[in-house]
Amino acid sequence: MPLWFARGLRRGVVTTRYPARPDESAAWLPTPPAFRSRQLTRDVADRMVAVCPATALRRRDDTLIFDVGACTACGRCAETAPDAVAPSGEFELAATARSALIKEIPIRGGGR
Amino acid sequence: MNPGRDEAEAARRLRDTISTQFGRSLHIRTLDTGSCAVCEQEIRLLTAPHYDLHRLGFFFTPAPRHADLLLVTGPMIRAFDVAARKTYEAMPGPKVVVATGACALGGVYPKDPFVHGNAGEVLPVDVWIPGCPPSPLALLHGLGVAVGRLAEMTPGLTFIADSAAGGGEA
Repeated sequence: MPLWFARGLRRGVVTTRYPARPDESAAWLPTPPAFRSRQLTRDVADRMVAVCPATALRRRDDTLIFDVGACTACGRCAETAPDAVAPSGEFELAATARSALIKEIPIRGGGR
Repeated sequence: MNPGRDEAEAARRLRDTISTQFGRSLHIRTLDTGSCAVCEQEIRLLTAPHYDLHRLGFFFTPAPRHADLLLVTGPMIRAFDVAARKTYEAMPGPKVVVATGACALGGVYPKDPFVHGNAGEVLPVDVWIPGCPPSPLALLHGLGVAVGRLAEMTPGLTFIADSAAGGGEA
């Protein structure tokens, strides 16, 4: 037992300090996309809506409606439009109101 | 938007009650309502040495009677209606319901004759944890939000990579 205790001290602690301090593994998590609104056109938005398997994306006129709660972070929208989409890096997404997870992305690119 | 604000207000009151009544000891019952079991894998990882959920005062319990928090995964299949209701009713109050994963949040399965497609259709959900699956870190954050120990981040996030001033990025 003392041997195992000494070994534990020598090898260090594996437990994350997460809520108190950031965890380095967070950088490797798949995360929902963030959109570059100036690269978005209605056409690009429609293509992303078409490939989204989780129906997390909808388009209403010049607004892309992104439901973060529905997003599975599969990356298909980023494959479809690599210029307009990049991983957001956000994983602390818990919300007390479902409506807080629905984001409106303005479509600023295209003919203007 | 009034009902939303009322819900948020009620959830905040409940969290205050729970943080005072349960202090740093909260018992979790998981409820699988037709999930693919990947959410369960991530939940199980919470008790592994790396995440060590117990250091934060959260514990898993097999009995809803002993649970303070119901961790719901899956798209809420209709065949599970009775069991879900019984589980919720068996829990002593005050109680918190946390919907976990894109299925429970209404993402992956649309509402159809077999699934409700959203945990909120059957249970009064207090905290929503997105992700497919939510990583153990995301679950830890969600549990922290549920008991009022961690702040919610989503209201401040836009998911727009180029802000009003930007535009130079590739």
